[in-house]
Amino acid sequence: MNASGLRTRASVLATTRAFFGDRGYLEVPTPVLVPSAAMEEHLFPLKADGGLLRTSPEFALKRAIASGLGRVYEIGPCFRGREDGPWHGTEFLMLEWYRVGAGLPELIAETRALISACAATLGVEVLPWRQVTVRELFLEVCGLDLATASAAELGASDDTWDEAFFRRWVQDIEPTLTDAVVVTDWPASQAALAQVRTDGEWPTACRFEVYYRGVELANAFFEVIDAREQRHRFMAANVARLAAGEPPHPIDEAFIEAVGRMPTTAGIALGIDRLVAALAGWDGIDPGRV
Amino acid sequence: MYQTSDIRKGLKIERDNAPWSVTYFQFVKPGKGCAFTRTKQKNLLTGRVVDVTYKTGEKIHPADIDDAMMQYLYNDGEEFHFMNTETYEQIGIGSDVLGKDVTNWLLEEAEVQVLFYKGNPVNVDLPNFVEMEITYCEPGVKGNTAQGASKPATLSTGATVNVPLFINQGETIKIDTRTGDYVERVSK
Repeated sequence: MNASGLRTRASVLATTRAFFGDRGYLEVPTPVLVPSAAMEEHLFPLKADGGLLRTSPEFALKRAIASGLGRVYEIGPCFRGREDGPWHGTEFLMLEWYRVGAGLPELIAETRALISACAATLGVEVLPWRQVTVRELFLEVCGLDLATASAAELGASDDTWDEAFFRRWVQDIEPTLTDAVVVTDWPASQAALAQVRTDGEWPTACRFEVYYRGVELANAFFEVIDAREQRHRFMAANVARLAAGEPPHPIDEAFIEAVGRMPTTAGIALGIDRLVAALAGWDGIDPGRV
Repeated sequence: MYQTSDIRKGLKIERDNAPWSVTYFQFVKPGKGCAFTRTKQKNLLTGRVVDVTYKTGEKIHPADIDDAMMQYLYNDGEEFHFMNTETYEQIGIGSDVLGKDVTNWLLEEAEVQVLFYKGNPVNVDLPNFVEMEITYCEPGVKGNTAQGASKPATLSTGATVNVPLFINQGETIKIDTRTGDYVERVSK
């Protein structure tokens, strides 16, 4: 057990709570044991006592927003099976917040402000920020245009397009994100719970990710607020899971109904363990964990 | 067949008709993507290091690699001869197969690990440090420990290393076999 690592994490947690308190966010603890834990193809929830352990607090927090609570946040444990490594834990601490009435630009500014506040608490300098689209990164690093590149052109003929995309991402792109980077405009096929734009040069998800010192810290959506669209996304993910030989996710009807009552919202999930480690300059999340 | 969960340092993999050894690995899963294992692998024939990324669930071919502790006996100008210290079996390995970065630091009677690929010896794992006698160098300058000043010295294997000025012919020095650099004088 690393006492100084745990103190570092405690400072970041205290700073985070103060940050959201000052900005009029309500802290809403939601259940960890849930009937439906995830929607995405590549998340593997753990079973517990007839239910599941949440992979994020997203479904419950969106129900809270639909009931008219306004800006909310939660810091709490989440669980993802089949994830284990220096930057992954089966159990980890997630921060999620929803900025009701806002779009992604406001959320990007707020995320940067939070990271600056946490860095100031720890007495470290924030790395210089840059903002780039996924398409720009692939052009710059791989010389490939995602708007037209096939899976084979991305480099692996046995992969689906998304698999080929992520293989390149992991092998070539991610190692270049060593500063503080906001990556926007992801492929529409990776929208998850984000709205999709089809009025640009190619269909993109209204999503951004934050990388810091090479570590993926956060993922944000301009949230889907249409119940029919939400149900369609659930179904599409489950079709992909069945095709991959994985069990479909149980569909949370109360959540889908609540999505239809949500106001315009931008939401983001940030790994606290990773934020602490990336700011402190550790080579993994372990020093901040018991 | 190996699974991606079998990946660890030192795992020997067959890829592109060559044997590779994993020197680094890391599990990585993008939030919205499938999981991967990022690796660095060293080609056991050429020493070249490359990055290879595996998708979780991909099958990995094991390399037909064996190793044995062997004692280096002598070289006949074309081949370096080794003896298996358990079976006493002797083999010869061409000097071109081993390369200067091995033969420069190979002392008679030294015990080394010999690597076999598909039954053929392909490489030798040297200790990181060896001690060797200087067979020729210009006379030493007593007391001259000036930093940076050096002179060439020839070793019993014919290899040349740069040594500090105070070193004398006939003395034994310690060498880092990974870089071919002088480390220190060994008092005998």
